[in-house]
Amino acid sequence: MPADVALAAPEEAAQILAQPSPLVAFAVAFRENRGAMIGLSVLAVVVLAAIFADVLAPHAPGEQFREFVRVKPIWAGGTWAFPLGTDGDGRDLLSRIIFGARISLFIGVSVMAFAFLIGVALGLLAAMAGSVVDVVVTRLMDVIMATPSLVLAVVIVAILGPSLTNTIVAVTIVGLPRYVRVARASALGELPKDYVTAARVAGVGPLRLALTCVLPNCLAPLIVQAALGVSDAILEAAGLGFLGLGAQPPTPEWGVMLADAREFIRSDPWIITLPGLAILITVVAINLTGDGLRDALDPKMRRG
Amino acid sequence: MLIYFLRRVALTIPTFLALMFLTFVAIRLVPGDPVEVRMGERGVSPERLAMLRHQLGLDQPVWKQFLDYLGQVAHGDFGVSLATQQKVLTEFFTLFPATLELSFFAMMFAVLIGVPAGTIAAVRRGGVFDQALMTISLFGYSMPIFWWGLVLIMFFSVSLGWTPVSGRIDLITYSFDAPTGFMLIDAALSDQEGAVWDALRHLILPAIVLGTVPLGVIARMTRSSMLEVLSEDYVRTARAKGLSPFRVVGVHALRNALLPVVTVIGLSVSGLMAGAVLTENIFSWPGVGSWLIQSIFRRDYPALQGGVLLVSMVVILVNLIVDLFYGLINPRIRHAR
Repeated sequence: MPADVALAAPEEAAQILAQPSPLVAFAVAFRENRGAMIGLSVLAVVVLAAIFADVLAPHAPGEQFREFVRVKPIWAGGTWAFPLGTDGDGRDLLSRIIFGARISLFIGVSVMAFAFLIGVALGLLAAMAGSVVDVVVTRLMDVIMATPSLVLAVVIVAILGPSLTNTIVAVTIVGLPRYVRVARASALGELPKDYVTAARVAGVGPLRLALTCVLPNCLAPLIVQAALGVSDAILEAAGLGFLGLGAQPPTPEWGVMLADAREFIRSDPWIITLPGLAILITVVAINLTGDGLRDALDPKMRRG
Repeated sequence: MLIYFLRRVALTIPTFLALMFLTFVAIRLVPGDPVEVRMGERGVSPERLAMLRHQLGLDQPVWKQFLDYLGQVAHGDFGVSLATQQKVLTEFFTLFPATLELSFFAMMFAVLIGVPAGTIAAVRRGGVFDQALMTISLFGYSMPIFWWGLVLIMFFSVSLGWTPVSGRIDLITYSFDAPTGFMLIDAALSDQEGAVWDALRHLILPAIVLGTVPLGVIARMTRSSMLEVLSEDYVRTARAKGLSPFRVVGVHALRNALLPVVTVIGLSVSGLMAGAVLTENIFSWPGVGSWLIQSIFRRDYPALQGGVLLVSMVVILVNLIVDLFYGLINPRIRHAR
């Protein structure tokens, strides 16, 4: 009955049009997630502090006030000149924590970017090339995962020497497997599908196939991994700094600050408490945001 | 079943080979000539250098060196520590019980609290307990544990004076042989009054610190896996049969909900070892983790190489055992493909 078809078509079309675009659906789902919004807000504060550290910080991070060594924070009877107190060298803790945000976020984001690019490239290569390449890449990732992250990072730093740059290199290598595995698995799921075969038959080259067909369809899980990868990278870099194998003093890196503060564990607890709290809050904020991303990107998790 | 076992075991062989290849390459990338490092700063004649190179097999082609290395490892020869002149394998097995004891109690802490807490949260989904637990576990797996350790020391050791700050036992009061290397067992065997209690007091803070991240992960995993299982038909049937809620959740549902949790526990082993490096450093715990870090600062590369290889082997083996165990309790896995 042609009449029915004619009647049904606009309705169906309207229904399809009424469905929100994936991006809008994602934004709505994300905004409904209270935890994710809290995480994102806190993260925004940390990011802004990192960007405007020069303006916000009351003092330079390395400036030593010899007469004001280990001043207590303001709530414990300190002075407003050093709201969070000073450390063992008379450096303003608030300023160092603000500048530390810059370093930690820089490490987190650059590790994520490098690991994402290299990892996704390796994962797609393994899935599409198959055979020997696949075996080599998979085994390599197995080894990286079998070696405890910090131990592997420590070994890489031992080879390269401790520094901020080498911390990034080490933590990037440690972070590779998550991207490789996700990219490889989703690519293997995508490759046998008809549209990929169609593209192949139409003469699309492997590189274009990877970038235009496979990658867009496995981006969602990769984005979630990337978010969680930032927080892992921050934790690992701080751990290396704490062990004396990451950024070197007097860099205002949070892990280094903790290592410097260890000698005051009996006398001045705030010098230890505050930088660690900064790490914890930042990592919690990123993880909350990441969880929100995962829930919003995964339609199965979306509740009406 | 046997085929599943064999296939799973065979799969670890290339991983082992790749691991050995990487540790072999890594040690060659370390700056400094191994012979010159060994001889120190003093001048050595070129003839003597050449002789030492020959002794160490460094004049052989690289592939031959790698094969020799494989052969050595296969014979249990993991090299000799430059710092102590002891066999790396011997040192490892002297220190490993300390790390194992710490990791075991950390995991006990995580499982014994995480599984019941996650189960209750799932049953009372959306309630106050659920929300509180999810927040706590978020903080748990986001924890910078090196800081957490210092905070707990400040609170329990410095302020309250409840627990000691470092080590495995009070060495001034107690001294006894260590036949097993596990301090609690050795203390119990020693018959010295209060030794077990003292060992426990030393163990508790490090175990909590190391167990914090796994606790967060396990509580979350148990909750989500439990939620999935609770909506299954057989759980409804069990309820309809009139079984007590405790039996339905604690026996019928939990058994299946724990399957993914077992995997998570297996996967945590690698993270546990990484955490042990930091925890042992904070509490001066004489285990494998602090040994590895000391080896770096002493430039004791043979110890580092052998140690990393051994630690990774332990991780691979534990993952293998967990996989096999998983196959044992979950027939779907062992019949797949």
